[in-house]
Amino acid sequence: MSVADTLSSALGRAMDVRASYGEIRAQQTQSTAVAMRDGRVEALSQAVESGAGVRVLLGGAWGFSTSNSLKKGDLLKAVRNACRMAEATSRVVREPVKLADVRPVRGSVRVHVKVDHRSVDVSRKVGDLLELSKNCFSHDSRVRSVTVSYADLATDQTLVTSEGTSLEQEKLFAWNYAWITVKEGDRLASARDEIGAHGYELFETNSPDAIARRVVERAQNQLRAKPAKGGEYPCVLGTNVVGVLAHEAVGHICEADLTLAGSAIQGMLGENVASEVVTICDSALLSEGFGAIRYDDEGVPGERTVLIDKGVLVGLMHNRETAGKMEAKPTGNARAQDFRVPPLIRMRNTYFEAGDHAFEELLEGISFGYYLESFRGGQANLDGTFTVGIQNAFEISHGELGVPARNLGISGNTLATLREVEACGRGLELECGRCGKGQLMFQSSGGPPVRVRKILVGGTD
Amino acid sequence: MTRQLELCEAAVRIALKLGASEAEAAVMGGTAMTVEVERGEVNASSCVTDRGLSVRAIFQGRIGFAYANRLTLQQASDVATLACRAAKASPPDEKWSSLPEPGRVPSVQGTFDQAIARVTADEMVEIVMTMTDSAARFDSRVLPAFGGASVVTRELAIANSRGIAVEDAGTVFTQSLGAMARSGSIVSPLCSEIELSRRFEPRSERVGLEAAKLAVSCLNIGPTEPGTFPVLFDQRALQDLLAFTFVPSVRGDMVQRGRSAYADKLGELVASEKLNILDDGILPYGLLSLRVDMEGVPRGRTPVIVRGELRSFLYDNYWAKIGGRESTGNAMRGGGPLRSPPYATTPRIEPTNLVVEAGDQSEETLIKDVKNGYYVRDVQGAHQSNPESGEFSVAAVPAFRIVGGEVRHAVRGAMVVGNTYDLVRRVRALGKESRQVGFLVAPQVIVDDVRIVAA
Repeated sequence: MSVADTLSSALGRAMDVRASYGEIRAQQTQSTAVAMRDGRVEALSQAVESGAGVRVLLGGAWGFSTSNSLKKGDLLKAVRNACRMAEATSRVVREPVKLADVRPVRGSVRVHVKVDHRSVDVSRKVGDLLELSKNCFSHDSRVRSVTVSYADLATDQTLVTSEGTSLEQEKLFAWNYAWITVKEGDRLASARDEIGAHGYELFETNSPDAIARRVVERAQNQLRAKPAKGGEYPCVLGTNVVGVLAHEAVGHICEADLTLAGSAIQGMLGENVASEVVTICDSALLSEGFGAIRYDDEGVPGERTVLIDKGVLVGLMHNRETAGKMEAKPTGNARAQDFRVPPLIRMRNTYFEAGDHAFEELLEGISFGYYLESFRGGQANLDGTFTVGIQNAFEISHGELGVPARNLGISGNTLATLREVEACGRGLELECGRCGKGQLMFQSSGGPPVRVRKILVGGTD
Repeated sequence: MTRQLELCEAAVRIALKLGASEAEAAVMGGTAMTVEVERGEVNASSCVTDRGLSVRAIFQGRIGFAYANRLTLQQASDVATLACRAAKASPPDEKWSSLPEPGRVPSVQGTFDQAIARVTADEMVEIVMTMTDSAARFDSRVLPAFGGASVVTRELAIANSRGIAVEDAGTVFTQSLGAMARSGSIVSPLCSEIELSRRFEPRSERVGLEAAKLAVSCLNIGPTEPGTFPVLFDQRALQDLLAFTFVPSVRGDMVQRGRSAYADKLGELVASEKLNILDDGILPYGLLSLRVDMEGVPRGRTPVIVRGELRSFLYDNYWAKIGGRESTGNAMRGGGPLRSPPYATTPRIEPTNLVVEAGDQSEETLIKDVKNGYYVRDVQGAHQSNPESGEFSVAAVPAFRIVGGEVRHAVRGAMVVGNTYDLVRRVRALGKESRQVGFLVAPQVIVDDVRIVAA
């Protein structure tokens, strides 16, 4: 019996007759991880895991349960547990959950990669990481420590629903994170680098030495950087900071579950929320991005969802539940970290569309401001307050790039900031990363460089 | 001995048989029942059981790790084999010494509540309904946006080839609510209240009410004055600021790798003399208390800061042995960059219950004492801080202006910037009420000369 047949039969046998919808999402995952500290392998980790998440809609309420085995007996128990939980909650539901209709899908989706990481010997992976680590030390004698974390995952997922969907999907990710510390006199500084790909081409597009040079240069800049000034300044944001702005400041409040919870853009569909040079999308279609998916974890096809079109809020990211509630079309944004958790509305590849300004034009006319080249992290609140920590920044003085500025954060209100966007540069660069909305999710974000008339810089000078 | 510990011992035996010079196996995991609030609705709940077995196999300094999420003898054998294979493929770590030896395991009060295992789904639904109703009743402008309640049981069994064979278990009961308030075009930030306890102690009415009160108070917005002020920090803000700067700098691995600003400061005055900070792994009813750490090393108490003086760093087995010291029982597992379950990661150093000794002032006196400054309830963006330099630049959300010793109004768009290593030197006063937020058990504190940046 195939996995899909086993799931289908378990759902058919154990799902409460009163349930209006049920699904089992089973997965088998193979993974390799290497943690390297200063060129020493702290642990080489390998794992195979499997399990299934069961979600049931009964009396307008969700129930969820899991099984760490794909044996029929265990699956039946998980389905019954999910039904029991849904039933308890259904007694207090005021507004029953209604799912947007979708056409059931049947099929099998494979990911096309240049180099399947499952076929790469682990000694080559360790070798690449050693090279990265050694090169960081050799590029600058002030490098004190190098931490490299590598992981790859290969998941075969089978989704079976009571509506007739039976979908097998492959999910492949290779990910690398490097963090270095440099010291000069008493002064410590650090820099990070994060990359991702669907296959082991990860280190083809970014050779270990290229990563080492990049991250060392960022740390060097911090050593010679001066403190940033605190206050509002015109800023040019580099592509990876633009990505964080698209993701944190705009993306999260356009996730329909958060919009419905009262986010800053609630009730603003169709309204002008940004300057007219701003177009922001969340797309499942950019194949190089971590968020490239054919179908989401509810079996809805992935698509390119335009959130803001020339300054006007035109769309939100939906799962079947929020689409049902808002009478919209599901956009294929329901994604789950793994079988242990139900899918949530998550971003895929979120980016600013390119404009037609050369980078130099973006700097033109700024008498004093900052070029924010790369970020350390970002966070947003539902009211539209966002923060982005910057690891690499430069002063802009009379339209020219100047000296580096040290660790600073920017903060603002999304809508106020989007109105201050003056111009977008050329090209679209995507950066692969992770987002933690309760669950961890691989996603990408990016855009062209963007110029903002004023933004609050949290500097200490 | 339970079946879980037997499985661990079996896995260790198999790894040794396959040629490992040392081996360790751990079973970790547990069960969780959760009822969730989303957009003011109680409409989703779950019960999840997740346990896994992991093996560390060592072949003369080559370290392999593997795990699986099923607990059968066959899986134990497969995982041990996979760990041995990984070890053989790994280059040797010349700094590896050995796995930990057994020690005297202390007893800890109040880590497990039998009542938690008996809570029903219906009771949990009732608790969450009380919480959302209490928030909504407080003010019609409040939306209890996200939150819920959960009961969690976690177990731990560890065996290694040097004779460790221990088990422990703990329970956690969580009630949380994030509320928003909306008045015309003014939207409050998401304001959260959370109650975490080892015991089943429903306080849902209070959690709902506090979240709602905070959200409503954020609607009364006044101007933000930039400058340097005394700031009263709530525990949540403090926890966030310390987690990404101070905490890494007292970790033994950071110290020995030259990444800690405190590396050469043992015995020196690094903080205000009013500060006493203790890592207490056996704190009665502490959320992170257990008898042993996640390598099976007995937990204990480690004084980190005593009257402002840096006294000790935190260690696991690996870094303690490199530094020629004893492990302080601070090995943790789980989480990490990929948010893995505990059985899926190797150990790393983390604080247990980091206790900041309380002072003697009430919240009211603290506010009066600030006179002209800010009351920062939480911060946003602390994970973007620079652990090495201690620099942070965060948004203060929610935050309030204190004028004339009174909380006057909420502020929007304020940033708090500075350096944590300077911040701990400028602690002026500590409150008398402690509470635990994550790893931190602390009172509210007043810090002088904090830089506030605003438009």
